[in-house]
Amino acid sequence: MRITCPLCGTRDRREFYYYGDAVYADRPDAGAVPEAWNDYLHLRDNPAGETRDLWYHEMGCSSWIEVTRNTVTHAILGTRLVSERNSRRDKFVYQEGDLREIKPQATKPEPKGTEE
Amino acid sequence: MRYSGFKVIAEGLGGNKGWKPAWRDPDPKPEYDIIIIGGGGHGLSTAYYLAKNHGLTNIAVLEKGYLGGGNVGRNTTIVRANYFLPGNQEFYSHSLKLWEGLESELNYNVMHSQRGLINLFHSDGQRDAFARRGNAMINQGDDAELLDREGVRRLLPYLDFEQTRFPIYGGLLHRRGGSARHDAVAWGYARGADRRGVDLIQNCEVTGIDIQDGRVTGVQTTRGAIRAKKVGIIVAGRSGQVAAMAGMRLPVESHILQAFVTEGLKPVIDHVVSFGMGHFYISQSDKGGLVFGGDLDFYASYAARGNLPMVEHVMEAGMTLMPMIGKAKVLRSWGGIMDMTPDGSPIIDRTHIDGLFIDCGWNYGGFKAVPASGWCMAHLMATGESHEVARRFRLDRFVTGHLLDEEGTGSQHNLH
Amino acid sequence: MARLIEKTPCEALLPVTCGALTLRELVGDRVTSVAPLRGQKTKLAAALKKLGLAWPEPNRVIAKDRASITWTGRDQAFLIGADPDTLAGLAALTDQTDGWARIRLEGPGAADVLARLVPLDLRAFAPGQAARSQLGHMMMILISPAPGIFDIMVFRSMAATAVHELHHAMKALAARAAV
Repeated sequence: MRITCPLCGTRDRREFYYYGDAVYADRPDAGAVPEAWNDYLHLRDNPAGETRDLWYHEMGCSSWIEVTRNTVTHAILGTRLVSERNSRRDKFVYQEGDLREIKPQATKPEPKGTEE
Repeated sequence: MRYSGFKVIAEGLGGNKGWKPAWRDPDPKPEYDIIIIGGGGHGLSTAYYLAKNHGLTNIAVLEKGYLGGGNVGRNTTIVRANYFLPGNQEFYSHSLKLWEGLESELNYNVMHSQRGLINLFHSDGQRDAFARRGNAMINQGDDAELLDREGVRRLLPYLDFEQTRFPIYGGLLHRRGGSARHDAVAWGYARGADRRGVDLIQNCEVTGIDIQDGRVTGVQTTRGAIRAKKVGIIVAGRSGQVAAMAGMRLPVESHILQAFVTEGLKPVIDHVVSFGMGHFYISQSDKGGLVFGGDLDFYASYAARGNLPMVEHVMEAGMTLMPMIGKAKVLRSWGGIMDMTPDGSPIIDRTHIDGLFIDCGWNYGGFKAVPASGWCMAHLMATGESHEVARRFRLDRFVTGHLLDEEGTGSQHNLH
Repeated sequence: MARLIEKTPCEALLPVTCGALTLRELVGDRVTSVAPLRGQKTKLAAALKKLGLAWPEPNRVIAKDRASITWTGRDQAFLIGADPDTLAGLAALTDQTDGWARIRLEGPGAADVLARLVPLDLRAFAPGQAARSQLGHMMMILISPAPGIFDIMVFRSMAATAVHELHHAMKALAARAAV
């Protein structure tokens, strides 16, 4: 199995560490109910076919990569940097060793006529 | 079909034309009391104990391929009861006791060989951990002996005692551990269940689970719809897909585990030897082949075959531990699909759907559990109550926090 | 205070030769990791230009005389053989000089030696190319400064293992060639 690192190019599988389902990149809100944490930590779609998971280019450039691949054929269908994924990371900040939600700034009301 | 030495000789002289199938090949009936999805070791033993222990015989086992064609036919056959945590301990202890009586129970030679299992340790900290594990095993009523370096050398003189990366400090010997003939276990249970009236239906893939008003009513299959009052899902690596037919998501990720066997050699490895630090374990089959394996390939997969880096890793670990095997030629390698849970322990429980039960999450330790898993799953399906030794294998333990994390590696499926 | 004797990472291990292949240690150059600070990439590029260098693309090394800068990861490069002071304030600079063993493999068949240890196709590894990959089980930075020459960087603590592995591969290759 060879995985295409978006930065380094196509590399041997052994350069990468596997973390798990891409759901790991979507951590629940800090105050989420236990069921949400159970969903995040434990429950998996576990598809026989196309899946997305997180790999770390451990022996290479140290990038976290979201890999789209087939669990039956081992075909690699696509890769992108986790940093370029539309993640929730800007909503949280690590403080004192814990992940805290960033409180939204008090924003001025949008001017009229800009509704999408 | 009864077997004897005389019969083998007579058939050998007669061209082996007199053998008959060991079980029937029935067509599915329109309705059963109980349907077991999955004709592997666990499914067959569940059907057997439903019939034997609970007197229920209107049962069908539905198998999409052939009986015993899944993980029970492609594992490394280790049987042991060396668990540490309450919850696992009593279960595997019970399973080992069932193994010890299995051949007379089934009147079938499963070649159960209690040749002793040795887990090596390589540091003071590991020795402490193994001493504690050994004490836990003894408290459970099983056997354990802590060997020092010389004790290991007496039993396993062929190990490399000079290597410096993982110096051998000693080992935990579990004398009642050993191995068995993997296929024979499935066949023995199949024959036993068939004789008690269970329909073993092969080439019958379940394609849907019928649910009405929160209650299971039957299954859809490639051989038509079959009604049932109770359905048990016992499909190992395919658990996620079958559970999805009932709208469930499981705490299971399917991973690949490889194993290897060499050409037949004269007897040289008398025990099952486990080298945890190198992710390597080995035993010698009765045919003489060295049977060995390592860790998961580490990524979610249904491919039933692995990748070369893990092959290399396993070979490296083997050569580190016992360089004498270096000239042995590997004949075969294969991969099995492991139903990995986030704590490394199994699930035997009812589901939120009335009449639907699930037995899964055996990670890569399902073979030794075949008797007790069937015993407990049968108890659950027949009585509606969890069996005493399997009461902690709950489906909801991941929400409630009652995890059984034997290795202490946390909630990442592939780390167990 | 104790008088400490400075040793290079591969002291007493290198050089070794095997037929026409040589393996020797590269010493004396300052190694600095350079990670651009947010919004400073343009100024950093200008500062590098004064050194005769530029910010390297992934898998590239840019050299000028004795100085070079090698891409070593996302938003990170190693400046080797140059004074990093002119980059101060533009990038996070960390002295790595004593953290790495730098080894040069040179001679005909060098790529074949590495083929036994590195999961990359090095037959097309041309001057100016660099890679982060692995040497056996060790993390490695590989640089091609000139045709037929490979500069290998591994963590200093892995120096003896790296030399052992490389020397072993060199001998195995020579033995096979002699058959």
